[in-house]
Amino acid sequence: MSAVLYHGEPNGPSLSVLAALEESGLDIETRHIDLRKGERHALPGVTDAVALDMAVEGEGPVLVVDGEAMSEAVFLAQYFDEQAGGAGLQPEDPYAHWQMLMWCRQATERLSPAVAYLGIFASDAPSEARLSPIASEDLRARWQDWRDGAIDEGKAADSRAKIAQFAERTENQLADGRDWLMGEFSIADLETYAWLIGAQELEPAAFEGKAALAAWMERVAARPSVQKALARAQTDNPRRSFAPGPEINRWG
Amino acid sequence: MAEVKLYHWEPNANSGKPMLALVEKGVPFASHYINMLEFDQHQPEYLAVNPQGTIPAMFHGTRILTESTAIMEYVDEAFDGPALMPSDARDRWRIRWWMKFMDQWLGPSFSMIGWCTFVGPSLAHKSPEEREAMIARIPLPERRVAWRKAMFAEFGEEELAESKRRIALGVRMIEEELGKRAYIGSNQYSLADINIFNSTYMLPVGNPELTSPELTPNLWRWLKTVYRRPAVQRTWAMGSGRFTDRFNAIMGEFA
Ligand SMILES: N[C@@H](CCC(=O)N[C@@H](CS)C(=O)NCC(=O)O)C(=O)O
Repeated sequence: MSAVLYHGEPNGPSLSVLAALEESGLDIETRHIDLRKGERHALPGVTDAVALDMAVEGEGPVLVVDGEAMSEAVFLAQYFDEQAGGAGLQPEDPYAHWQMLMWCRQATERLSPAVAYLGIFASDAPSEARLSPIASEDLRARWQDWRDGAIDEGKAADSRAKIAQFAERTENQLADGRDWLMGEFSIADLETYAWLIGAQELEPAAFEGKAALAAWMERVAARPSVQKALARAQTDNPRRSFAPGPEINRWG
Repeated sequence: MAEVKLYHWEPNANSGKPMLALVEKGVPFASHYINMLEFDQHQPEYLAVNPQGTIPAMFHGTRILTESTAIMEYVDEAFDGPALMPSDARDRWRIRWWMKFMDQWLGPSFSMIGWCTFVGPSLAHKSPEEREAMIARIPLPERRVAWRKAMFAEFGEEELAESKRRIALGVRMIEEELGKRAYIGSNQYSLADINIFNSTYMLPVGNPELTSPELTPNLWRWLKTVYRRPAVQRTWAMGSGRFTDRFNAIMGEFA
């Protein structure tokens, strides 16, 4: 089996997936690419590109296994966990597992589109970005809006509200003094942390006065897997590195 | 063993996914019919079960579960019976990928067209005041917007065209996927097949311009195989009205 993980700066989905790979202990080659230049759309050796082209997640890391491009951060983390024979990243009890999946789904449907949306417009679109190889029309439209600075104020306001709600929700989840979101450490911690650190750069006020949230963010940051993932950064502040993410939920 | 109580509407789309999974596994359940077109899902009794006001929801003993795909994953893990997920990690990844693609990208497009052409018009006989009162009870903001558009025929041309584009592309992608493997994402019947079948079973009559033995031979072969599953037929026999009529009409051709 040949496998290469292509990832961007350790922020958002690239951060959670790199950390999950470290946690799993699997020995998989990793290669840094610039998601902000659209490099993800021109990877070598891809013979089956559907999951790369049409990922709901937008610009995230891609694992290429025997030519098949694999995407979606939460599912890649589950893949690493399961491929390693169970690395402790998912609860075994079916109900606890359901709770973790529901949490991750809220994060990917409500938090990540909001952070990615505000994040791209807070940073300059690289002029070299080549949109021509982007297969998905709706993803390409999100790139175009970024390049044109066409921010929609309604979506921006909605995104700020969603970030505040998610910070609140995370604080509440930790209110009983637990160390990790689901009780035991899991993919939910990585996925949530990976988006919240970028969110904190963009909306610091949403994080003020939240002691349990702050302590939990430090606990996640201190994990060796997260430290190793962050050490792959090639820019001064990877928390400010964003590329177009999922579309803002249009159906609920 | 703890009792299973399922809140569902017709076996169609999300509502039917846990029904199909439970029946495949051979798990008996108490059925609570929620009439979506009467807005039962936004009544206080149901909001106490699922504050999001979407169907389905399931009790297993005292545990409450929501979100159709996540409920199916729970059902597969919590009960004996045939496995509805393969054991290979990459197959499992692929199944999850396709379910997310349907739940978040393709499914909402099917819903928009369905609400625009059928669900909205079926509520047109209610007075505008009655419709406003129905909208006011909807908990999810995105759904409040969607229902308003459906009830007052306010879907825009651009968004309808975008949904149609996604449906045509999504059908082509499923056709290609089914050319690679016997089932969606793997070579065994799984949760992804249940998920995708429940939003594509109607294509032969709803979108014959996209789906036919000539245009989509792999999709056609797969539909026929899934239609013939005893658990699928048993589940659909629990349905009523327009959706079940459509199912039975197509089944007649596949029998
Ligand atoms: N993501 C939810 C969506 C469920 C959903 O939208 N169900 C439809 C019935 S198939 C519904 O409840 N519609 C009524 C409404 O939105 O008011 C799930 O998969 O469970």
